[in-house]
Amino acid sequence: MEELLRYGERFFDELEIAVYRNREIGVNIELNELSMSAVRERTITIIRGIKNRSLGLAIIDSEDGKRIKEGIERAYRMAKLNSQDKRWKSLPSPGEYRKPRKINEELKDVSPDYFVELAKRGIKLALEKDKNIVVAGGGGGVEWSEERITNSQGVDVIQEGGGAYIYFELIGMKEGKVTPGIFDFDAKLSLDLNVEMAVENAARKVKWAYTVEKSKTEETKVIVEPWALSMLFQYTIFPAFSGERLIKGTTPLASKVGESVASELLTIYDDPLHEMSLNPRIADGEGVPTRKNVLIEKGKFKGFLWDNYWAKIKGTESTGSGIRNPSTGGISIGMHNAVIEKGKKSLEDMIGEIEHGYLVDGFQGAHSSNPDNGNFAVVANPAFIIEDGEIKGSTVFMMSGNVYDLLNQVYEISKEQKAIPFMGTVISPSIAFENVRIAGK
Amino acid sequence: MDMQEELEKALNWAMNNLKAEYVELRYENLKKNNLELKDGTFTTFAGKVQEGIAIRILTDGAWGFSSTNRIENLRQAIEEAYKLAKATAQAKKEKIQLADIKPHEDFVKSKMKIKPKEVSIEEKVEHMRELEKLLKEDRSIKSTQIRYEDASGEKILLTNEGTNIRWDVNYIVQYIWATGKRGDKLAAGRDSIGTVDYGWEIFKDEQPNEKVAQRVLRKLHSQLEGVAPKRGEFPIVAGPIVVGIIAHEALGHLAEADLTINSPFKDLMGKEIAPEYVTMSERYVDGGFGNDRYDDEGVPFKNINIIKDGVLNEIMLNREYAHKWNMEPNGHARAQDYTFPPIIRMRNTIFEPKDWSFEEMIEDIKFGYYVVDFRGGQAQLNSAFQVGVQEGYIIENGEITKSIRDTSISGIAIDALKKITAVGKDFGIETGFCGKGQTAFVSSGGPHMRFDGGIIIG
Repeated sequence: MEELLRYGERFFDELEIAVYRNREIGVNIELNELSMSAVRERTITIIRGIKNRSLGLAIIDSEDGKRIKEGIERAYRMAKLNSQDKRWKSLPSPGEYRKPRKINEELKDVSPDYFVELAKRGIKLALEKDKNIVVAGGGGGVEWSEERITNSQGVDVIQEGGGAYIYFELIGMKEGKVTPGIFDFDAKLSLDLNVEMAVENAARKVKWAYTVEKSKTEETKVIVEPWALSMLFQYTIFPAFSGERLIKGTTPLASKVGESVASELLTIYDDPLHEMSLNPRIADGEGVPTRKNVLIEKGKFKGFLWDNYWAKIKGTESTGSGIRNPSTGGISIGMHNAVIEKGKKSLEDMIGEIEHGYLVDGFQGAHSSNPDNGNFAVVANPAFIIEDGEIKGSTVFMMSGNVYDLLNQVYEISKEQKAIPFMGTVISPSIAFENVRIAGK
Repeated sequence: MDMQEELEKALNWAMNNLKAEYVELRYENLKKNNLELKDGTFTTFAGKVQEGIAIRILTDGAWGFSSTNRIENLRQAIEEAYKLAKATAQAKKEKIQLADIKPHEDFVKSKMKIKPKEVSIEEKVEHMRELEKLLKEDRSIKSTQIRYEDASGEKILLTNEGTNIRWDVNYIVQYIWATGKRGDKLAAGRDSIGTVDYGWEIFKDEQPNEKVAQRVLRKLHSQLEGVAPKRGEFPIVAGPIVVGIIAHEALGHLAEADLTINSPFKDLMGKEIAPEYVTMSERYVDGGFGNDRYDDEGVPFKNINIIKDGVLNEIMLNREYAHKWNMEPNGHARAQDYTFPPIIRMRNTIFEPKDWSFEEMIEDIKFGYYVVDFRGGQAQLNSAFQVGVQEGYIIENGEITKSIRDTSISGIAIDALKKITAVGKDFGIETGFCGKGQTAFVSSGGPHMRFDGGIIIG
């Protein structure tokens, strides 16, 4: 790598070479059966070079030295064609990394047969539980990655690791009615996946979904479960933490540092080395050490996230929040492993204390939210009606509003958290909101 | 190294050494450009080479798939796919079989007049800068992001049945996100263009920068000036883009054979599900982003009517599901790239036009909404859908009045179909991407359509 960097320095003032080796194995489930096993291998090298403050990038499907040299030359041709970015300062310098998490080597060599067995067990279990259930889809597997980021400022960091997952999507068909697809999953940094729990959770919800109840248009209590919550937050509040948006004036949090923006019960931070993280990185996408970044602490907004580029423009330091986009090679600001701090009560108790309200398992259309202002208009589906502390049946309703209002309507947070492997990872509890306006169907 | 020859050699080796029922090799070699202009600065300025092979093997009634970009390891990857198929087969009760097809040998030429590789990077840069300038001339614009991607290259599909197809692959994608501010109010406008048949000429003829910028600004201003809509069920007139997203998300997915089987469509085949003036097709469309001659199983792409004169008529199939349903495969097996196996996907999903004018459609609406463009949409297998609206207006006493801000429409598509009271004579499409574990280039569209009930706004 050293030699390649030296070769690149013939062309560039500074450059970065990042190599990503990925191997994924997996099995697919379709209609109560295994349909396919697959192995997908890919190595890409991303070259980012800067000449006279002009950026050039090249991405190649290889880690071969000769091909990387050609990539360097291609990146140089791109840089020559690019205009000067007067705000460019420099690539990151080396920093001190935290101690990496222990790697689970068994993930590296596991055979697809292992997941064939897990999937078979899950399908059998689901069909035994309820004869009206169809295992519509699902899958399981391991993703293993090795990456090395080096740059001419002296950064040279290697990270490797992998994670395993299994999921099942169940549909109930009873008396001509089809329930919405309900899925549950387990994802861990080991092979210790809990198939029984995933199937059990999904099957229980299918059972609830056989009874369909109409929802009303009202102001009420709504508990949002981890998957739904992380989707909603990913498209509304999380983008607002970006320092780039602060500079551009496109975050509603611009003048709110130190101010209360949410209920005191709410604490959100980003920490890739959190114990439940599925993305335990010591370095971000450009080699800057990651750290715990507190964003909202007991309702108060603490500050923004930065990558190397925007931090230097602002005159602050990177918070290790540079996320590499492997398809464009670019870096943008994001979170590695967002953690929404857990509360004290169990989800079961939270449900038990509601006289009338709703439990939301999934939101449709979270991605149509507006991150520029936090407005959202989503459909809660699958969702369930709670009456006198018990689930009475499934329902669908619309929930629209602004996430910053919603953050102030939190009245309880569950003690259970779940790791959601979605655009990075989110470690999320279930959150109960009060006085939520919903439009019934 | 002649890749065609290498692939044929590897295929012969597989046929001679493995007891596979079906062997499919799909090679891809694309040169791409990725440019991203954010507020005056190119934050991505990348040249990309994407090269690799997908191997799919059917043996003992089960699939094995492997993909690699180490071309030198091709034989090993074939063996790996074979072993995977064997392992899956042991757990399989119902054996997979493929519908018969006539193998094609063909070279699929690009229809582009000016291919992206024939345009200099300088011209692409100038195009993006001009577009940014036009957007920023509007004083309410706070931030703009323009992404551009193109690719030129080849794809080769070889199978042990004799399919031997080579494509001259070319595409262009442009995506815009513009944020505007007025007072304390922030709003965003989104726009996307994707093309496989029209080349760089599209920016001169169909989609010049002035027209695109005007469109983005119109969407943005409709949000900035918009009022909150009343929640509830009102008469809705939906424009081609919104009609298209309903066709795609809420109905199209149900007609993908792998999903049909778990959806209400399964029991509705051959039955009337909409008024007789409603026809919805999956077909070739001029400028369609999903256009192609063959799918990734080498099956010719056939036009189908999913709904014909109100009756649920046909579904999208690959060879596996065509066999299962005892139907003819119709060319809908598509893979994102060499790292994925083909699965059943839409191409261009549209409602067919009829005879209403827009004016006739709105003239007797006392209070309702006209929804023009969306930002994100999603549906469930029971056809419950949600579509975020990024441009919409109030209809009062037969006239379009104020615009509405951040909202969405939702409903159960199968119910909403029955509430269609008018189908327009115009036609339009939007090009974009569909995600189903993999990304596919798709279009959706239709004429203006009126729904008297069945759709909730707010």
